[in-house]
Amino acid sequence: MKYNVPTPKRQVAMVLDLNKCLGCHTCSVACKKLWNSDDGTDYTYWNNVETMPGKGYPAQWPQTGGRTATGEVKQGELPNLDNAYGRAWTFNNKAVLATDQASKKKEWLRPQESPTWGPNWDEDHGAGQYPQENHYFYLPRLCNHCEKPACLDACPRQSIYKREEDGIVLVDQDKCHGYRFCVEACPYKKVYFDHQRQVAAKCIFCMPRVEEGTAPACARQCPGRLRFVGYRDDKDGPIHKLVDKYKVALPLHPEYGIGPNVFYVPPMSPPKLDDQGRPLDEMRISMSYLENMFGKAVHGAMDTLLAERDKRRQEQPSELMDLLIAYDWNESFKLDGKTREVI
Amino acid sequence: MKKETVKLMTAPAGMQPGGYVMKAYADRVNPAIEAAQLEVENAGQRWRIQLRWACDKPLSTVQGETDLFPDACAIFVPTTAGAPWITMGDKGKAVEGLLWRADQEKPMGIRAEGMGTMQRSAAQDDWSVKAAWSEGYWTVTFQANGWAALKQHQQVALAIWRGSAQDRGGLKSVSQGWIAAV
Repeated sequence: MKYNVPTPKRQVAMVLDLNKCLGCHTCSVACKKLWNSDDGTDYTYWNNVETMPGKGYPAQWPQTGGRTATGEVKQGELPNLDNAYGRAWTFNNKAVLATDQASKKKEWLRPQESPTWGPNWDEDHGAGQYPQENHYFYLPRLCNHCEKPACLDACPRQSIYKREEDGIVLVDQDKCHGYRFCVEACPYKKVYFDHQRQVAAKCIFCMPRVEEGTAPACARQCPGRLRFVGYRDDKDGPIHKLVDKYKVALPLHPEYGIGPNVFYVPPMSPPKLDDQGRPLDEMRISMSYLENMFGKAVHGAMDTLLAERDKRRQEQPSELMDLLIAYDWNESFKLDGKTREVI
Repeated sequence: MKKETVKLMTAPAGMQPGGYVMKAYADRVNPAIEAAQLEVENAGQRWRIQLRWACDKPLSTVQGETDLFPDACAIFVPTTAGAPWITMGDKGKAVEGLLWRADQEKPMGIRAEGMGTMQRSAAQDDWSVKAAWSEGYWTVTFQANGWAALKQHQQVALAIWRGSAQDRGGLKSVSQGWIAAV
């Protein structure tokens, strides 16, 4: 980092339990309806859900960001609509509606282009030979509101800043000139370009909601109750327990070295099967794959998760499992609101 | 009328603000545009400034796309003696000028006091720009009426952005110093 980024007084953060994501995209819809329904942001998903193993969104984002595997700055790539984001389809609605019911010729609703990529294009594809080891899991993603934001460091106009009160990273669109170095530099590709207003745009962690003590829309609307929201320094809160106390929530690609404040509980998976269909000792999602995503700490996290799960199976108490199960949704969101999040 | 071939250099990536551009673009040592023809004509309060440069891949339509940048150029002048050209001025030593983008019909006024500080605004009503691309060359002609800083200091500098090279911001080809306008 060349710019001096003051440490915020507090840091708001999110944990997502990947064992509970059902890939329903309610989070993405909640976010998009709230913040991004304009022409210039039509293609953007501040929150999206990817199927992993898969290409992600934008396609191949881990390869096109502005950081090497050792955290060094490298020239990133600007995603385009054809190959990375996916261009919006147009449909033959008029032709379908004008179909003569008496006619034998039926016109079916279909895109008028021949698309080759788009959000969720590879949804549920996954990897592995069926039925021995086929697998996939969902990876919801949003801006990580990093400690050392690559986007902030990339802006020559200092249009991006990290809020002192809660560490949320924001774009000052009045200062932004749309150079898109931030889009290039973010190794998570979570800054977008509003092509109508010609400025950068990104997740604001539902800042107006957080200021009122309400969790971001993506978290609040999640039917799977997999998201936890709170402050890093709140030792009674879910973030501290999951990240620091039990160490089961890990940042995505920690090797980029920019300190994400969104953390993931890695997915446990069913065992692989042998040729006779008998379960093996190995999980379908390999630890090497998870290590590639979450770093070496994933081994300790997985050991803890499996041990605590076994405790619960033996009807022993487990604070960790109770928290992850989210019996009481109010325990999942701990902001500064005066009222309980969920009545 | 002043007529000159201006040799251009790449704006040094190492001087760019922030930690990304200076490292990511450290290998950009050759200008995307090597030279430009400059014409400056002054008649009373009226200034006509024309730039012409080779461009085999003009880029003027970028609306609706996420990875495209338009061709562009700017002509700028010091507002005080000693304003540095390479950093687009300095605190208390502003530069000001006119910016043309190939995707817009009207010029924009610009003012800066150092790198990363450029402010864009609508140019004066009676200032205009005409641009045309033909046979591998852009020709951009600014008309400015009553440009006080230019009249006073009689120096200009220029910057050209080549869209097809993803030039934008500090990624640009610039004159190697102030150029006498008359």
